[in-house]
Amino acid sequence: MAKKTYDLLFKLLLIGDSGVGKTCILFRFSDNHFTTTFISTIGIDFKIKTVELRGKKIKLQIWDTAGQERFHTITTSYYRGAMGIMLVYDITNEKTFDDIVKWLRNIDEHANEDVEKMILGNKCDMEEKRVVSKERGEALAKSNINIERAFSELAEAILDKTAGREADADAARIAVERRPSRAPPARACCS
Amino acid sequence: MNHEEILSVVQEKFLSSELVTAFLCDAKVLRPDCVKKDRLLAIVEYGDEKAVFCLFTSCYPPKSFTDLSIEIVLPIDNSFKCEIDNKPSDPEAILYLNLQSRNSKFKFEIQMTPRVDNFVDDLFRGIEAVNKLTTQPEFVWLKKYDGQREDDFIAQSMVLPRSGMAHTQVSAPVAIRESLIKRKMSDKEFDYTFTKRFTIFCGTWNVNDKSPVIPLKGWLCVDKEPPDIYAIGFQELDLSKETFLFDQTFREDEWYNAVRTHVDPRSKYVKVEIVRLVGMMLIVLIKEKHMSHVRNVVCDTVGTGIMGKMGNKGGVSIRFDLHNTSICFVNSHLAAHVEEYERRNQDFRDICSRTRFVQPNQLPKAIKDHDQVYWLGDLNYRITELDPSSVKRMVNENNFGPVLEWDQLKQQHKISNVFAGYTEGPITFKPTYKYDPGTDNWDSSEKNRAPAWCDRIFWRGDNITQLAYRSHPALNISDHKPVSALFTSSIRIIDEEKYRKVYEEVIKQLDKMENELIPQVKVDITEIDFGTVRYLELQVRTITIKNTGKLPVEFEFIKKLDESSFCKDWLIVEPYKKCICADESCEIQLKVLINKTSACKMNAGTDKLYDILVLHLYGGKDIFITVNGTYQRSCFGCSIEVLVNLNIPIREVPVGKLVELESKRDQYISNQSTYSIPKEIWFLVDHIYLHGLKEPNLFEQPGLHSEVLQIRDWLDSGSIDPIPGSIHSVAEALLLLLESTADPIIPYNLHPVCLRASANYLQCKQIVMELPEFRKNVFLYLCEFLQEALQHNAENGLDAKTLSTLFGAIFLRDNPNVVQEPQSRINKQIIDKKKAQFVHHFLINDHSDLIFTK
Repeated sequence: MAKKTYDLLFKLLLIGDSGVGKTCILFRFSDNHFTTTFISTIGIDFKIKTVELRGKKIKLQIWDTAGQERFHTITTSYYRGAMGIMLVYDITNEKTFDDIVKWLRNIDEHANEDVEKMILGNKCDMEEKRVVSKERGEALAKSNINIERAFSELAEAILDKTAGREADADAARIAVERRPSRAPPARACCS
Repeated sequence: MNHEEILSVVQEKFLSSELVTAFLCDAKVLRPDCVKKDRLLAIVEYGDEKAVFCLFTSCYPPKSFTDLSIEIVLPIDNSFKCEIDNKPSDPEAILYLNLQSRNSKFKFEIQMTPRVDNFVDDLFRGIEAVNKLTTQPEFVWLKKYDGQREDDFIAQSMVLPRSGMAHTQVSAPVAIRESLIKRKMSDKEFDYTFTKRFTIFCGTWNVNDKSPVIPLKGWLCVDKEPPDIYAIGFQELDLSKETFLFDQTFREDEWYNAVRTHVDPRSKYVKVEIVRLVGMMLIVLIKEKHMSHVRNVVCDTVGTGIMGKMGNKGGVSIRFDLHNTSICFVNSHLAAHVEEYERRNQDFRDICSRTRFVQPNQLPKAIKDHDQVYWLGDLNYRITELDPSSVKRMVNENNFGPVLEWDQLKQQHKISNVFAGYTEGPITFKPTYKYDPGTDNWDSSEKNRAPAWCDRIFWRGDNITQLAYRSHPALNISDHKPVSALFTSSIRIIDEEKYRKVYEEVIKQLDKMENELIPQVKVDITEIDFGTVRYLELQVRTITIKNTGKLPVEFEFIKKLDESSFCKDWLIVEPYKKCICADESCEIQLKVLINKTSACKMNAGTDKLYDILVLHLYGGKDIFITVNGTYQRSCFGCSIEVLVNLNIPIREVPVGKLVELESKRDQYISNQSTYSIPKEIWFLVDHIYLHGLKEPNLFEQPGLHSEVLQIRDWLDSGSIDPIPGSIHSVAEALLLLLESTADPIIPYNLHPVCLRASANYLQCKQIVMELPEFRKNVFLYLCEFLQEALQHNAENGLDAKTLSTLFGAIFLRDNPNVVQEPQSRINKQIIDKKKAQFVHHFLINDHSDLIFTK
């Protein structure tokens, strides 16, 4: 049945250290396609994907940014206009998680005040090399375990706001994934 | 938001060449079946042509043009009509605007605000203007809005407009995407639908101005099973003048209630729609259980009567979608009189062409745009070429065959003059016209007409079977007998689960397509290392941008946030903006040149040979291109104060040391410094003094660039070889050296004083006396040297005027970092003259006193 069209456009941004897998997440989410080759993103790129949330069709325009240090001053200028920002780190690399604080500071300085934020731990397929503990939140690009959900949650949070509802105070909204009951993802994805 | 802000949002919906000249918010579209709120009316002008647009606003006030979708476009051509009514009960607050253009009529309800006047004025100006035109405007620009060239438009809209997150407005028009989804879904219809048989009862009766005084069961309730749908058409419901003129009749309710009462009682029916034009009425009922699957109910009426417009003849229609099948019912009353069959054919064509079912965000639908069409009515075709008595005889014997051969409709249908593509079942019932009312007797009036099958039912569409086609003579109150037909038709039903899957697949495909249409390029090198870059030596690198996408791509190097230019001043990018066709490439040259303005920044460490360029693709990504190199520092671009403190060649000075020296350059005092003037100036001046004072055209003939570069290296490396190059090259190197010092010999802040004092030698002298130590030294040293050179003017051809102009421009050079007020040429000439005048004093007067006072 043809449903009423609410074509909302949400602009989302992926940020995080170089090599944490931002581009990979973007490809995985938009094309359902995974590549192991690492080509550093030199610039910013985007893809679109339409999702349906609460009966509304929402077009996500997801921007992937260069993570390399030397581009930081330039990439921060793209924060403005983003409605949601996904901060990505690599669970096998402590530094990328520590740097999240720095990225959050960047967001405070350069993004819209009411931007929705979400932290995403990537590379959960390399559980044996994990150094960042699980409780701190994660998603998994390679087996696509939580990427869809992460984007949905982020989009839903934005939808809450656009619907005019008050978002939870002005505290940074960080979706922390807690999954004690779930099987460790590492086994699930290495097949 | 004020009016202007909304206007600018509305304007964004259109091209810049299409000007929104007036608009009204809060309009409503009044349709017979519904009222559509939240519409915005805009008048848009393109050249001489104007059109009225009705836009749906998804939020009010619209914050962005994406909140607006174009629903109706009415070109103001000479078919355009505008009538304005007040609501009688509330003449102040509400206005009705009836707009008509090219067979489309719309009624809008608008709130009476002061803006309405402007809007209406603008509208009438447009109408007046078009009526003055001798040729009809073509409205080519509207084509992109009417959806006819959908494919082109999709391609355009998929190319997302200028991006860069900070300033984007990205969205393919929703309507386009929606219509594309619709088309794809209809292509795949069989993947998510199955069919089910529905029975459809069609009835038609010309009631000849009678009230329903008899039960209708014998017409409507004669079949074994109750039908799923009833479509009942009446003609000549009311022949009164009032009805004809004011289109009001109590008979509408009478007959509607009679139908509701007498439909098959075994099922519960609900109304889909009812529509009436004067005496023509069409009622569609459906079993209650199916009603939730009925959507998009729209009706329309077309009058083809008096003047081709009035509703005494014509057709009324109802369309709707049942599950996934579109169905249209038409009830028509065509032109009367035996011989007028051509008129009847024409009426049929007019009804076909003028019936328009309008729905939001969709192209208007015609009767033919439906899966199933059922056409019933008093079509009024007669029997010709047979005399009434033999017709009566044959039909009384139930011998219909020979009579039907002379039926105008059968004849016209056979040669496709009317109802082409439609089918009619075999007629096995007596003619339905004309009887003496209340009897089954043929018309006994003087006219003695031949009986005729005026009342007929046609259909069009696949998988429709007619189960019955009959008349109901027992219902005899009219001069016509009612006719009915029962059909069984295949209706496509959606399997919701399969539909979802197919739908998601289509969405995925569209996303994929849209992603593929995002401009893509490949840049062969994104990090360009210029290696060692020397003063005044141009270096060029080339990068290649290849369009790897499917559409032409336009690129431009764009400014980074808070920067005034897209690259540093020592870099030239050519071309910085271009369009590349698919599969083609473009070479871009990047040129680095450190000149007198950039050299001092490099020496002082305030700038580096490093830049990141943002290569922006319109509608696509940005690519960062890093440029770097190592600048080999040179005495060119150093400040006088630093040079006098360098007792070793500059190349041997560590970079950090040089930066440190430059940062402290205001603190040097003479007795701690190595030299009283820079050794580099001394080398060059001394060389000219010794070897070139008699050189003709000294300081006027340019040197060789390659020799100037050799001299640069000679100075920077502290070579003990003789100075390379000709006298002219040495002289040019001297001028360059003086021009490229971090500050001019006379500091910028003293320039206004110098210019004011230029006519007065004593004042000029005073200024020079107060110059910073080393500047004064250089100034006086050079003036002394120039006086010396002037001594040899017989040989070298110098004169004080030329030299003072040349050196005036150097000693008092303009600050490149200060944006000059736009000076008139005359003003500039005066300033240049004063600069020369200032220097001139020191070339002709003996100022040795200044030197020896020290």
